Amino acid sequence: MTLFLQAVADGLQMGLLYALVAVGLAIIWGLMEMINFAHGEFMMLGMFGAWGLSVALGWDPLVSMVPIAVLMYGGGVLVYRLLMRRVQRGEVFTQIFATVGLFFFVQNGVVALFTSDYRFVEKSLLTSLSGANLTFGGLRVGIPLLVGGLIALALFLVLYLLIDRTDFGLAMQATAEDRDAAMLVGIRPQRMYAVAWGLGTALVAVAGVILANFFSVYPQAGLSFTVLAYAIVALGGFGSILGTLLAALLVGVVQSVTAAYLPPAFKDAFVFASYILIGLFRPQGLFGRF
Amino acid sequence: MRILRLAAVVVVLLFVAVQLSPGARAAGPVTEVLIGELLPLTGNFASLGQQYLWAGQTVEDIVNNDYPDLQVPLGPGKGFPGLGGAKMTLVVRDDQSRGDQARALAEQLITVNKVHWLNGEGTSGNTSIIQPLVDSYGIPMSCHACASPTLTEKGFKWFWRTGPNDSTMVASVFQFLKEWPAHGGPKDLKTIALFTCDNLFCQDNRKIAADLAEKGGYKIVADLTTKTGATTLASEVQRLQSANPDVLFLVQYPAETTVFQADAKRAGFMPKVIATSNGAYSDQTWLTAQKATSGAAGWLGRDPTAIDLASKKASWKKVNEIYKKYSRGQDMGELAMREITGMLWMADTINRAKSVEPAVLAKAAAETDMKPDQMIIDYKGIKFDANRQNVLATGVVTQIGWDDEKHTIWPWDLAAQSGFKPIFPSPSWQERETRSKK
Repeated sequence: MTLFLQAVADGLQMGLLYALVAVGLAIIWGLMEMINFAHGEFMMLGMFGAWGLSVALGWDPLVSMVPIAVLMYGGGVLVYRLLMRRVQRGEVFTQIFATVGLFFFVQNGVVALFTSDYRFVEKSLLTSLSGANLTFGGLRVGIPLLVGGLIALALFLVLYLLIDRTDFGLAMQATAEDRDAAMLVGIRPQRMYAVAWGLGTALVAVAGVILANFFSVYPQAGLSFTVLAYAIVALGGFGSILGTLLAALLVGVVQSVTAAYLPPAFKDAFVFASYILIGLFRPQGLFGRF
Repeated sequence: MRILRLAAVVVVLLFVAVQLSPGARAAGPVTEVLIGELLPLTGNFASLGQQYLWAGQTVEDIVNNDYPDLQVPLGPGKGFPGLGGAKMTLVVRDDQSRGDQARALAEQLITVNKVHWLNGEGTSGNTSIIQPLVDSYGIPMSCHACASPTLTEKGFKWFWRTGPNDSTMVASVFQFLKEWPAHGGPKDLKTIALFTCDNLFCQDNRKIAADLAEKGGYKIVADLTTKTGATTLASEVQRLQSANPDVLFLVQYPAETTVFQADAKRAGFMPKVIATSNGAYSDQTWLTAQKATSGAAGWLGRDPTAIDLASKKASWKKVNEIYKKYSRGQDMGELAMREITGMLWMADTINRAKSVEPAVLAKAAAETDMKPDQMIIDYKGIKFDANRQNVLATGVVTQIGWDDEKHTIWPWDLAAQSGFKPIFPSPSWQERETRSKK
């Protein structure tokens, strides 16, 4: 029983980190229905940013998170204005190829600039706490992961309030649902899309900054997370911030419990099997509105 | 008229066929020896690929420039003297760590670029994919750092490997564990857990280790294979912890090893011995990063060379100086040493052959008898068996000390030269933390 409960606890902790990675995609893909295969690369840029500022200026990632988020917000807006706005009206495949191109451009650009070496954030508050645990009824909860998870929860709360409880958020939702009708009531769709790209990019970069405390920093670091992020957003339901959070927790737990009892190679297979299973009964995902 | 047209088509087709055949090169003296360097420069294995590239550039530099005091093949003098001073030119291609891409690029290198020798791909899995193709074209090929034993056991006629394979190197680890008690080591190591990734290299290691563990009288208490690119290994660590092995045989790449370390630290899991084979243990950037936390102190693993002893050689120091011109200041790791040794052997073979004709190159390769004093690595020499595997490539066992450097601990004669006392048991995470803060 302890094995099972510990696996659930570990899964929930990882699930919060996955949620942090997926939330940016939930806005760009889930809410605004634009495809972004370069999502993981923005996360990787966040990781490199955290590492770079840690090495060059001695900044803790918890501090560098703020300037990186601002910078990446601008980056996301630029990507929309310079690239995605132009391909948005075309076939969906155009978006796919444009963002796949962006994926290679960013990843290989980082390889060219920094080489493919593995790098590590060595001095930070969270790394100094690595190995420190809280124990509840015999179950271990790692403090650094817990802090990462709490940051994820806080961001989700802010985002949920922004999207669901403000006029601005409603305008974004209106743009996603019916662009022409939104224009009729005075919403500027291009601005909404640009903000969505900015927000999505900034959020995934923040995820990268947090993850840099736990994972090695290298140009290919984003890929494994991107695949999971897509499954999480689809599983949670398009347009649902809360659904994304719950789906991320579910994915973390499924991965963890599977690996506790079955050959670990099955763990991602079970994640996607869960997606198929839920899709059979709720094609729109757990909390999808569309 | 119809016959004339048919004849014209046949002539054109013959011309095209001749142009595409690998042997079709302009007659006359060779001015440039083309080496196809097919590597994973982007994608999952890019950190390995870049080290091979730097190694290749180092060898190109050594061959093409005059290093009068450098005692390695083609160190003194410029170019290939056996080919009238012809230069070596690398034709580098990146396969993005993908087997399908590697196959397409290998074919392009042979038929379009008309390389004289193909070196690559750097990973055993992708090398096994291109081997049949290269063999069908009859072009010499080598992968010196690929360690899967199967690469030289399938009967390919055009594949050479100067480096040791995993059978040799994993056997070194188990031989060390067997002999260790007689040299003051622990006598109570009875159980072992295998923790490996899922590709050809890892799985070959796993199979060899499982076989040797059983023969060595170890009880295998866990055998877990993980997917490359894992984002968490917490449950796997929990299973390992429950199995409570004396020895953990771990073969994982740097990214997954880092995930394992974080999860093991959180769980407080530390077996008495962590034994590894290549993967992170061979990656210079991972090794360097461990210095901040003493995260790898006490880890032991197989290595193709006693790096602490080899690095004292004058030739090693000079080659390392050249290597650093290309590696942005990074020192040679053992992967680069294997690759440079192999590529210098290749250059020596081409020089001795005095030709770039495949059959002549194969004959020169078969006649190889290179002595240890010509190498920067401490193989006992280079001499091939019928499968074109170097029989004099040996494995050693090293351990990372509290100084975060590798030290040779087996074979015993080299261990005596190294003068290092093995760390046992593997230090706890708390001890690492305390020591690293001092």
